[in-house]
Amino acid sequence: MSSVRKIDAIGKLDGSRQFLDDYSYPDMLHGYIYYSQKDHAIIKSISFPKNFDFSQFVIVFAKDIPGKNIVPEPEQDQLFLAVYEATYYGQPIMGIAHKDKNILQQFVKGIKVEYDELKATTDIKECLENEKNHFGRELTIDHHQESEIAPDWIRQKHVYYTPHQEQAYLEPQGMIAKYDPETKSMFIKGTCQCPYFVKDAVETILGKTVQEVVVETSEGIGGAFGGKEDFPNVIAGITALLSFKSGKAVKIVLDRSDDIQITTKRHPARIEIETFTDPETKEIKKLDIDYRLDAGAFQTLSPVVLSRGVLHSYGGYNIPDVFVQGRLMHSNTPPNGAFRGFGAPQAFSAIEAHIDRIAHKMNQDPYQFRKNNLLRKGDEFPTTQKITEDHLFDCLERAVEISSYQDKLKDFAFWNKKHDNKKGIGIAIGYHGGGYTGNGEKILNSEIKIVIEKDATVKIYVINTDMGQGAHTTLAQMFAEAIGHPFSKTIVQIPNTKKSPDSGPTVASRTIYIIGNLLKKTALALKKEIGFSSLEKYVKENPAEFPKEIHNHFKQDPMVIFDEETYQGIAYKDYSWGVCITEIFFHAETYQIELIKSWNVFDVGRVVNEKIAVGQAEGGILQGLGYGTTEFFYKPGFGRMHGFTDYAMPTTLDLPEMIVEFIHTDETLAKGLGEIPMNFPAASVRNAFHNATGIFIDEYPLTPENVFKNLKSTD
Amino acid sequence: MKINMKINNKPVTIDVDPMKRLLDILREDLHLTGAKESCGEGECGSCTILLDGNPVTSCILNAIHAENREILTVEGIAQTKAGKLLIDCFDETNAVQCGFCFPGFMVSSYHYLMYDGEPNLDKIKHALAGNICRCTGYQKIFRSLYLACERWQKR
Repeated sequence: MSSVRKIDAIGKLDGSRQFLDDYSYPDMLHGYIYYSQKDHAIIKSISFPKNFDFSQFVIVFAKDIPGKNIVPEPEQDQLFLAVYEATYYGQPIMGIAHKDKNILQQFVKGIKVEYDELKATTDIKECLENEKNHFGRELTIDHHQESEIAPDWIRQKHVYYTPHQEQAYLEPQGMIAKYDPETKSMFIKGTCQCPYFVKDAVETILGKTVQEVVVETSEGIGGAFGGKEDFPNVIAGITALLSFKSGKAVKIVLDRSDDIQITTKRHPARIEIETFTDPETKEIKKLDIDYRLDAGAFQTLSPVVLSRGVLHSYGGYNIPDVFVQGRLMHSNTPPNGAFRGFGAPQAFSAIEAHIDRIAHKMNQDPYQFRKNNLLRKGDEFPTTQKITEDHLFDCLERAVEISSYQDKLKDFAFWNKKHDNKKGIGIAIGYHGGGYTGNGEKILNSEIKIVIEKDATVKIYVINTDMGQGAHTTLAQMFAEAIGHPFSKTIVQIPNTKKSPDSGPTVASRTIYIIGNLLKKTALALKKEIGFSSLEKYVKENPAEFPKEIHNHFKQDPMVIFDEETYQGIAYKDYSWGVCITEIFFHAETYQIELIKSWNVFDVGRVVNEKIAVGQAEGGILQGLGYGTTEFFYKPGFGRMHGFTDYAMPTTLDLPEMIVEFIHTDETLAKGLGEIPMNFPAASVRNAFHNATGIFIDEYPLTPENVFKNLKSTD
Repeated sequence: MKINMKINNKPVTIDVDPMKRLLDILREDLHLTGAKESCGEGECGSCTILLDGNPVTSCILNAIHAENREILTVEGIAQTKAGKLLIDCFDETNAVQCGFCFPGFMVSSYHYLMYDGEPNLDKIKHALAGNICRCTGYQKIFRSLYLACERWQKR
């Protein structure tokens, strides 16, 4: 049953499946989050427009919060609602609700806030350059060797910059809160990745005044990509506060312009890399990395992104002497957050660009040079974790073969001599660690619940959401296949914190890897325990035993030990490996990089549903290509993006032909797939551009303007 | 103001502010929530409907634009033979991910199937250029519509 059809596709095609804005409740109010219009300012006064029936509005400020005005995050420094001072453009100041959406809009337009402006840092590059902007947290991976630097080793030191990236999920963020004053219970319906995070946020803002908080997702979640990991906490908190104060249901759905301006983005990065390479053996001997992320105005979950970032910063190479320093920088811009890849796309955009620079200096083609320095079976990561498989090598060989990389290198060199327009091909390689970093999965202690009903329907209760990645189809498939039960009778329930145990957040490429494999393990154990050949038959013959409820917890392999202080040990138990090779055509007159074809080979272990897996990979690759070529959010003198008209992401006319291949799919373990496709495409385009023109660009994205600037500066 | 229109082949008269967005009329007054609001500025195509047979983004049209005209939404299309074929093809390839943009893709695809229908990748890409999808990377969408075109021709 490998490529079963998705359980939710029909309703999404005929328009019947409900997304958040499709729900409404009697007497429901519409809410709005009013936010700071200044980058950094004291809020002096707020005046509301006249000519409105004021009694019909519900307004909440920080002072109305009965609980704590702190968003529960790894770093507890973000406020739900600003108090006195706003530290970024977009920081929520108050929540407002009214039963009529139009009247609410008119009212909001009439609000006037008087600010006293303070000094603000909004130039991201400046903030990343200035070490004084450092938040104070420092991560280091110290794998220094005592050996001396040989005088003939070639030193190369370069700085790479990556921009903000907007998740641009098609369904904007939103929440519905319904407070019942009689039972003192709060019901939240939301479009989010992590319902238990939202529950925690609502319990924090409302404190002990509320007896029970239940969070359920909408039927459809219209994309997330990390964007709905942490920011929903803020919206849920404010929506719940409005509902608590009014005693009515309140719905807040951000319009696109608000969503794009105030929600989290991918962290911009400045990554400085210094290497020493032996020109004789063409081996990299020493690697130093200074990895900095712009966290924005608050740190929120940035420390976790930083952690994954540094653990992916050295790439898939065997280098004896490595030192990495990771830091979070401050700016007066909205806090950056989770986005598919979580620090790794920045890391690979830098290291893979740098590797091409070394290869060039060593006068070796980028493929040979990579192969020469590749992390092979038996080698170690700088964290001392041993590599137990040679799958990165296999991915590289396969990608080079199917793309005819070596022939193309020769053909393009010949062709380029005779033409103003240029052809190029570029490689980028690497990995992605599955699940939470280090001891995270041990701490999460994820729980699943399975109910087998009297009619042999299997109901799977997990809190992991299906935001389009097909998790609810694939999870059901994994259980059904393992126990030998019809897929149609194995159903993952809509995540609800009252019914579904905490199986952990839907992040970190962990849903299939951790929860899917746990479901599979549970199914196999159940089959062994009862010893039936058919579950349906067994249920029929033993009706007294059903309905039966089964609970199970994820148990981390006790050999997985990671030292959070020294960053030594096993950072991720299982890695997925991947290679992206992209061919481009450079238009010399318009400075445009046209994407021709992209070959992507991955080892994600067992592939459960091939059609779903390929679709997810294709989507990730295109997001990665957009990251490398067109997408950015701020630019000095250009300002901030306001919507889909100015935020340029790939359309149907911008994509290359994408080839996706999975290898080693006969393994028993299904590893992480969600994020890895996003990690390499940007660097592959940048390297292809160098192959085409001989010019290295170290700042992403490679927009025509950026290319123009770089071509001019090398004239 | 009273506005007469035909929606999914049924005559409808509603009394609304003539400047109310057509998308809001469909979603709020007529409870046809298939068309979605994503960008709100006519850029992404999630709210695409057919107005007198032409694909338009209903988030940048007003009620008055619909006066005496025929509207076909994804709910109407899903009931047609061609609509059912499209649904089956999109479903078969597992093309759908989050699905928020798909009602819009359904409308644009239906329009292509009805007014051209040639299984031609380049034409298909241009026919869908007004619809943004962030999940899929589009390739499976192209394949599904291509498949639908082939099957529609053979019917």
